Amino acid sequence: MAQEMTNQFGAGAQSSKTKREPSIWEVLTSERYFKWTLLIPLLLLLGVFMFYPMFYCIYYSFHEWGMQGKAIFIGLDNYRTMLYDKGFLLAMGRTFYVLVICVVVELVIGLVLALLWHRDFKGQNVVRGLCLLPLLVAPLVLSLLWNFMLEYDFGAVNQILGAIGLGKVYWWSPKLALYTICMITIWQWFPFSTFVLLAGLRSLPRDVFEASRVDGASPVYTFRRLTLPMLSPLIMIIVVLRAMWLIRLFDPLYGTTRGGVGTELLDWTVYRTAFVYFDIGYGSAFAIFSLFLTILICALMFRQLMKALGVIK
Amino acid sequence: MIKKAVFWVVTIIVLIFVMGPLLWIYLTAFKAPEDIFTTDLKNLVLFAPTLDNFSRLFTSYPFWLNLANTAIMSVVSTAVVMIVSVFAAYSFARWNTGGGHLLFVTISTRMFPGVVAAIPFFFMFRKMGLIDTHLGLILLYVYFNTSFATFLLYGFFREVPQELEQAAMIDGYGRMQVFRRVVFPLILPGIAVTTVFCLIWSWNEFFFAFLFTRRVARTVTVLISSFWGSIEVQYGPMAAGASITVLPTLLAAWFMQRYIIRGLTFGAVKG
Repeated sequence: MAQEMTNQFGAGAQSSKTKREPSIWEVLTSERYFKWTLLIPLLLLLGVFMFYPMFYCIYYSFHEWGMQGKAIFIGLDNYRTMLYDKGFLLAMGRTFYVLVICVVVELVIGLVLALLWHRDFKGQNVVRGLCLLPLLVAPLVLSLLWNFMLEYDFGAVNQILGAIGLGKVYWWSPKLALYTICMITIWQWFPFSTFVLLAGLRSLPRDVFEASRVDGASPVYTFRRLTLPMLSPLIMIIVVLRAMWLIRLFDPLYGTTRGGVGTELLDWTVYRTAFVYFDIGYGSAFAIFSLFLTILICALMFRQLMKALGVIK
Repeated sequence: MIKKAVFWVVTIIVLIFVMGPLLWIYLTAFKAPEDIFTTDLKNLVLFAPTLDNFSRLFTSYPFWLNLANTAIMSVVSTAVVMIVSVFAAYSFARWNTGGGHLLFVTISTRMFPGVVAAIPFFFMFRKMGLIDTHLGLILLYVYFNTSFATFLLYGFFREVPQELEQAAMIDGYGRMQVFRRVVFPLILPGIAVTTVFCLIWSWNEFFFAFLFTRRVARTVTVLISSFWGSIEVQYGPMAAGASITVLPTLLAAWFMQRYIIRGLTFGAVKG
């Protein structure tokens, strides 16, 4: 029996002469179980921090509960209400609207700048360093900053616009506010797409472009038929990653409109329902919906990431 | 010639566009209220600098205390995250444990909408008395950084050639020794980058901090957000606080510029 055991745990093969049971440590670091040993902390963490909240949310999404008293089981009512909830549907629509605008604009700006900077020039490292600065700054601080800069009377942007004769703009009007939020987000994130695409351009094989130049292809043709297709995996990565961050936009709203003037997005709706009105059941239903949406996009993203890492074809 | 001119004009416009708002934090931090609330254009840049905002921030508000809270929570949570995820990432990278499904589950936690976690944890923490404590927020930061760190490290571990480990095993190293003496030294740069990223994410975090802290464990981002109140907006102290809070992240961004893209794309694009 002991013989069998030690053989089974490969590492103990040499010591099979000593007929003793392997110690726990030996089992844990044996060829067979080492990979799982390494995962124990992570699995514990995931178990507590992921499955607990998920089941809790699912449980309460079938109940009506306002923090006080007992939760009343109401089946799928929360979900039914959700489907007819105008505010929620509007928030959904807005979130996708913001998502499309931001991703498209970021990609266009990114592509233009990446093509522009795809050469060796003096100070390119300084340009890169400066452009990457906003990416790591707290989004909340940036939203407060932009709130100040876009203030109607004292804001720097309006003063400059006024001085060059363009007239002041009321940035937080119901008509413009959503676009202003987009602008803030784009301002922070366009360097991301720019430098991802630039990294892509740098890694493209040169000889193909040489060949197309020798064959007399126009720059536009080369761009459309060579550059763009070769960059498409990276564009895909930008789209999924940005979609992932954007459907959870919260900080830029907190520092500026706080969900007012027609800028209430998905996460803000959930936050308001659960933590301002304390309608936990309904809020949980929102959260679960938001979760499924996220997992869907996450699955797309995961595929792209694994492809980029060369794990899958 | 014209091409070159266009190139530089566009580049400089982009740089002004990027740097302007960041510089604005620092300009505002040194302005007196009458220079902040002015409609006179030349006061935008020309003003008598003053340290009033900073002294007000330090005396009337618990700024240093909140900054220390942020620092403590970032460092502790990052330490825990790194211990958990270095092992996990190694397991995923070397043996593809769980056939990719487990890795997917892991990364999806980073992508969870914060509110999904916030609702249940809010009630759990309330029962356990963890609201407004350092421990509570540290746990939440561990939760949302672990998956990110695991995936980023996964990419770094995959770059370590398997032959090296096999050679070491033939030389009689056990699994643990291979990990400690062969793989770990090779992965150090990756660990450094991942650590800095985790520190920054917890440093910048607002949503959980805003929901789960009140006074004792309040982080600096929550303090700054409180200057934008419903009654009055105190741009001066806000800018002063922001200028200090943002400084470490700006420095990190500058010194890590080669790794930022890699980190933000979860290791998929090597910038």
